[in-house]
Amino acid sequence: MLGYLFDGFFTLFTTMAAPALLGGVILGIIIGVLPGLTATMGIALLIPLTYYVSPSVGLSLLVGIFAGGIYGGSVSAILLKTPGTPAAGATILDGYPMAQNGQAGKAIAIATIASAIGGLIGALILTFLAPQIAKIAVRFGPPEYVLLGVYGLTMISYVAGKSLIKGLFAGCIGLLISTVGIDPITSVPRFSFGTLNLLTGFELLPILIGIFAMSQALEGVRDSRMKAPEQLKLTKIGISLKEFFRILPHIVKSAFIGTFVGAVPGTGTDIAAFLSYGEAKRSSKHPEEFGKGSIEGVAAPEAGNNACVNGAMIPMFTLGIPGEAATAVILGGLMVLGLQPGPLLFVEKPEVIYTVFASTITSNIFMIVLGLTGARFFAKVLSLPKSVIVTFIFIFAVLGAYSMRNSMFDVLVMGIAGLLGYLFSILDYPVPPVLLGVILGPLVESNLGRTLLVSDGNLMIFFKRPISIFFIVIIVATIGQNVYKHLKQKRK
Amino acid sequence: MKRIIVLLVVLMTLTSLVFAQGAAETAEKFPTQPIKLIVPWSAGGGTDAIARALAKSGEKHLGVPVIVENKPGGTGALGLGETIKAAADGYTLAILPVELSFLKDQGIYPFDFSNFTRIMNLNTDPSALTVKADAPWNTLAEFVAYAKANPGKIKIGHSGTGMLWHLAAASLSLNSNTQYVYVPFNGAADAIASVLGKNIDAVTVSGAEVSAQVRAGEMKILAVFGERRMDIFPNVPTAKEQGFDVVVNTFRGLGGPVGIPEDRVKILHDGFKAMMEEPEFIELISKMGLGIDYRSTADYYKLTDATAAALAPVLQSLLKIK
Repeated sequence: MLGYLFDGFFTLFTTMAAPALLGGVILGIIIGVLPGLTATMGIALLIPLTYYVSPSVGLSLLVGIFAGGIYGGSVSAILLKTPGTPAAGATILDGYPMAQNGQAGKAIAIATIASAIGGLIGALILTFLAPQIAKIAVRFGPPEYVLLGVYGLTMISYVAGKSLIKGLFAGCIGLLISTVGIDPITSVPRFSFGTLNLLTGFELLPILIGIFAMSQALEGVRDSRMKAPEQLKLTKIGISLKEFFRILPHIVKSAFIGTFVGAVPGTGTDIAAFLSYGEAKRSSKHPEEFGKGSIEGVAAPEAGNNACVNGAMIPMFTLGIPGEAATAVILGGLMVLGLQPGPLLFVEKPEVIYTVFASTITSNIFMIVLGLTGARFFAKVLSLPKSVIVTFIFIFAVLGAYSMRNSMFDVLVMGIAGLLGYLFSILDYPVPPVLLGVILGPLVESNLGRTLLVSDGNLMIFFKRPISIFFIVIIVATIGQNVYKHLKQKRK
Repeated sequence: MKRIIVLLVVLMTLTSLVFAQGAAETAEKFPTQPIKLIVPWSAGGGTDAIARALAKSGEKHLGVPVIVENKPGGTGALGLGETIKAAADGYTLAILPVELSFLKDQGIYPFDFSNFTRIMNLNTDPSALTVKADAPWNTLAEFVAYAKANPGKIKIGHSGTGMLWHLAAASLSLNSNTQYVYVPFNGAADAIASVLGKNIDAVTVSGAEVSAQVRAGEMKILAVFGERRMDIFPNVPTAKEQGFDVVVNTFRGLGGPVGIPEDRVKILHDGFKAMMEEPEFIELISKMGLGIDYRSTADYYKLTDATAAALAPVLQSLLKIK
């Protein structure tokens, strides 16, 4: 196996694969930075290019775009509160406050380091443990997905801010939004009001862009009338060794969470990022800093989502089943390249597989070099006058929402989500629980339906399976810990 | 003054002549501008692959580029709806999914095949009843016998209630007088993963979608629900060979809004047929495991009408259960 990997590195650096990978990472970062252009879309648009090159070169390009795209989303999230991709939604929570404190460059540097280390750990797990992880991943059935989703929803307690009631309320709004569209089990249209646009429900990205970017732009407009806009001062960019060791445990843990979330089919980078964020806040020594610009709060979701990129390739290569949306597109590309993904791929084409593994490992090194070099320049964006920035956010928000599906309806959704976000900020309601609801609602709902079909309506199925019992235990523990903390605070 | 009037008259005559000639030319010459090919799903799927593989040689065979545009949403309804609304001049086409045969009756599509000018069929893939390799059944007869003895015990996964693979499972139920529990998944891949994890017993998704698992010996196909055996699995018999009249194929065709003039349909048909015959197209599509199935305009009309008729009783049986 190490021999194959060595050959993989050899192929990578002696053919056009390495330049293709580098180009892919650069292109991916650009795609990620621009809202509305997602990694999935970038890969889909570039697959035709891979027809003309050898499989290892083509796949290196796609791997580069995937990794760069998920990382790049964090840059616009941190600087402009505009998530470049859905995966960057959780990065906003602390990345944007950091930027507002004048630490934009540092936030980008942390996001870069976390993405690269998280991605690297994910890539190593992919390389050395893919078949074993895949075996566990397929044992993840409908009941486990339900509980994974419920566990994700308990994260509301960590992102609710001051008032848990307000957090739960916001979470319910998110769940409500997620019920629009065709029922996942019975295919009955819900809340579609006879319009085709509402039939599949809402896309996540327009909501994300609206609720974060648009609402913030509206606030910017409001504030510009009240007071003279202040210029942000940029402070240091690098991070100290002490800070690095503070975020490292979170990065490692998030990398494992992200890899696993990626490895189970049907969940994606957005869920990985939020779960990592919640876990980091739960286990942090400084939970009070979260939401105000915590370096741990930036590192965890970024490590999680980039690890997820690699995790998602585990079932794609070993089972021929995509781990999330972008890998579904890569899967199609693999077939066009004449590779039949699945258990036989390792036997039939090990040289291609291990070149891909080598490029997933190398992509993280490219990313760290590019990201740290770029951080200085990216951060300069914020030295523009606030009025200019706000104008650009408006433009980005509209373009981003539109370009996802070439749809004006999504622009409308983005606008309404923007108003909702603005209203939330006036009333001091937290926004992240809404997103958790929107992201996890469909996961929980559809799998609950499936679970009950599989078990003939018997709820005891949840207590008969080892992985689901494990989840029940951590859900109860999470809620218990919160209740305990709450009671302790009250007594004080 | 007079001069000016004369000049104007001359100018008007000239311009009208120019325009008249232009009009005459467009009637003769088609196409003169790029053709938009709407894919009602996101980039990256099978339908998208077919459209893009065709478009590659579009300019070579039609003289104008064919531009693929993804319009996903509403299980295809958004892109198809936009196609219907476009001008019927042959410049806006779409890849038409099999779902047009039966989603109107379920209240999901507000239109069906009759709302489209159908040009030709491009691809067909049969459903295949597939189980885990270590499952106790080796033939369709054994599977059905078990189902008869244990009604409602076998769980069959598919890719969405009311979608084609669900109808395939229901068609088996109707033809063999057996009962199953149908478990809808968000796409074929998730359903396949659930069989591998032993959460459900079987899937009725396409043979192409399970091919990787079958080749690796993780799953086995009990019956192909096609008219004939699949090229990649020549040893697997069809349901018909095993005595069950279950035939359910997905197909993708080319079409546009109602009212595209016949001469243009002919030009488009000939152009796209030539694109389908490109060796590069055949290679790309076969590599993806998709079946190429050209059918002429008349045959495509027959195919779509026959499918709607064949699925009507199956759909009826499902709606009754609801």
